[in-house]
Amino acid sequence: MFKLFKEIRNAGNATTGYPFEPLEMPEGFRGKPEHNETLCIACGACAIACPPNAITMELSQDQEYMTWDISYGRCIFCGRCQEVCPLFAIKLTTDFELAVMSKDDLRESCAYEVAHCERCGKPYAVAKEVDYARRILAREGGLAAADIEKLDLCLDCRRADDAVAFQKQSCEGGRA
Amino acid sequence: MVAAKKNTALRVCETHVQAVRNTFPGAVLDATWQAEDQVTITVPTDMLPDVVEFLYYGRGGWLPNMVANDERPLNGNYALYYLLSMEEEDPGFVTVRVEVDPYAMEYPSVTPRVPACVWSEREAYDMFGLRAVGLPDQRRLVLPDDWPDGLFPLQKDAMDYRKRPAPVTDVENYSFLYEGNAEETTQVPMGPLHITSDEPGHFRLFVDGEDIIDADYRLFYVHRGMEKVAESRLDYDAVTFLADRICGICGNAHSVAYAEAVEHAQGIEVPIRAQYIRAILLEVERLHSHLLNLGLVCHYCGFDTGFQHFFRVREKAMDLAVLLTGARKTYGLNLIGGVRRDILDKQKIATMSYVRELRNDVEALVDMLVSTANFESRTAGIGRLDPAVARDYSPVGPCVRGSGIARDVRFDHPFDGYKYLTGLKARSHDGCDVQSRTLVRVEEFMDSLTMIEQMLDGAPGGPIRTEDWQYTPHKYALGYTEAPRGEDMHWAQVGDNQKCYRWRAKAATYSNWPILRYMFRGNTVADAAIIVGSMDPCYSCTDRVTIVDVNKKTSKILTKDQLEDYCSRRTHSPLMEKGA
Repeated sequence: MFKLFKEIRNAGNATTGYPFEPLEMPEGFRGKPEHNETLCIACGACAIACPPNAITMELSQDQEYMTWDISYGRCIFCGRCQEVCPLFAIKLTTDFELAVMSKDDLRESCAYEVAHCERCGKPYAVAKEVDYARRILAREGGLAAADIEKLDLCLDCRRADDAVAFQKQSCEGGRA
Repeated sequence: MVAAKKNTALRVCETHVQAVRNTFPGAVLDATWQAEDQVTITVPTDMLPDVVEFLYYGRGGWLPNMVANDERPLNGNYALYYLLSMEEEDPGFVTVRVEVDPYAMEYPSVTPRVPACVWSEREAYDMFGLRAVGLPDQRRLVLPDDWPDGLFPLQKDAMDYRKRPAPVTDVENYSFLYEGNAEETTQVPMGPLHITSDEPGHFRLFVDGEDIIDADYRLFYVHRGMEKVAESRLDYDAVTFLADRICGICGNAHSVAYAEAVEHAQGIEVPIRAQYIRAILLEVERLHSHLLNLGLVCHYCGFDTGFQHFFRVREKAMDLAVLLTGARKTYGLNLIGGVRRDILDKQKIATMSYVRELRNDVEALVDMLVSTANFESRTAGIGRLDPAVARDYSPVGPCVRGSGIARDVRFDHPFDGYKYLTGLKARSHDGCDVQSRTLVRVEEFMDSLTMIEQMLDGAPGGPIRTEDWQYTPHKYALGYTEAPRGEDMHWAQVGDNQKCYRWRAKAATYSNWPILRYMFRGNTVADAAIIVGSMDPCYSCTDRVTIVDVNKKTSKILTKDQLEDYCSRRTHSPLMEKGA
């Protein structure tokens, strides 16, 4: 019995003042993901990796905008988005207080302009993503940048071009 | 003289396959190895009960569960996989596979020979419509009463997982089975919300005065259809996160088991460091789970101060989990091929100091619990699990280890970091009662601390994840872990569309429920809560209990507080008050 009293005395006060004082979470705690819309190029890697489909990407009806959207109600705070993001545009914070009065407040979204194919006019990628690719290729220069203007074409048109080029080459090669 | 065979070394479990061949000539139609320690033999459907019984009782097998699978798109038939964990000579896993004709949809039941199959065979009917001929208990197991007959959700062509059929009945029509001899009994229905748990389960106690003659129960009120979701919606590599959510307490064990099922099937070599980290996290999970149960035992013994202190100390185990994984629960660290977070030096040092603190704190608390007068009287001889019953039903975890049978996947089939441990063995006590089960947990808790220390020191450097493998459709295998409550067994087969073709997750408690009625028998109503608690079921507090006297046609509703109070004090029976 005395042991018990001693234990109780030694234990002291085990509770914290939360919610009346802030609760610090340790480094590495997986809380609310924060999206940096300036860094983001809307490549969609996070939307593919997200197990519960909390992050989605949707093309608008008029095909002018791609909307990146996150629902904190669906999020399981696994941090896969952070792992797969090539630009470190999404990061898990230690913020865990996500309660809201209205369900709509659990969503955050951001629309990105879509690039259209120079030739056929079809939407083919988010403009920022194309620019990002262009910048990388330009910086690399040399052989990598040889086909840089092809970035303005959609996949179908590029394929058609490639097919024509291949046909031409094989005809010439055949004669030689 | 026969020339020496090219390959003299037998593969793991090959002796079992040979024994089946010798005993039942012509029975083994096919034998394939899915992983080093896993073999699947296909036998004719009519030989099934004989072969399973032979392996179970004749070769030291235990049966975690049976997996049914709709293989009509693959080979035109349904298939059943009886998983057997061989734990005596030549340890490993032997799976007995039979094909079931898609028109007859019938197979001979194994349950009359090996009672451990009972739940799996009932479930195979619910989910696939495969009828076990000769199964003594043909009631529904998983599906609710209002589910239409003839709609079997896991058949590939049955239904869209997003739709629900209209309920076919408004009343409960589940019949509870009574196996006792006494004619005049009082039925005590408990639930669907139950005394010791936050999750629903309906218990029907057949009592004579205060003594429990028999008990029956139904669960699955919160069946979430995860297997169907995994097949339909998730990619196979996201299922580790879903598996994490099977249980709020031992989710990591499920996640690891699933990941390893796929890894075994695909032949993926997980880096050694990742194996160590997985094992460390499994032990971290065991720390908090065992502390929770020890706290509950205090509570049932009327030692509520102890309960509070166990939970205070448990908080350190939770902090340790946050430190290593970034979350208190649902660690979410497993991917197919490894883990996502390394344990850094800084974290290793902090973990070591947590482990030291926990060891000191828990030693002091356990000392207090064991020396409490109530502990001995409330737990010794209560909730007896006969080892013979245990042998028949293949229970797992501290439940079976409290009955003198040292079954523990960590030592029977060492996996991950457990392969490298030294000086530890499976714990067991042979009192067969609540006390033994509690003491097993205490010892395991201390072992877990030692394991964490050993593995932190022993973990080699290196990568924690591999992406170097080829995806092969339709391969299947088993993954297994020792969760705090016993073995978790996952059987996974991936499809040709980057999804699970079939995923069967067996939680530890699935194996333990069928023995509960035997543990109840011969005890009093006051002990019911502590017996359920000693099983540490993956579900926890009811709000009330209804007592029905069938003779007098009266009923009485007990609140949770009344029942728990009665459990701790054991005087002033609420049944004796007026109205009963």
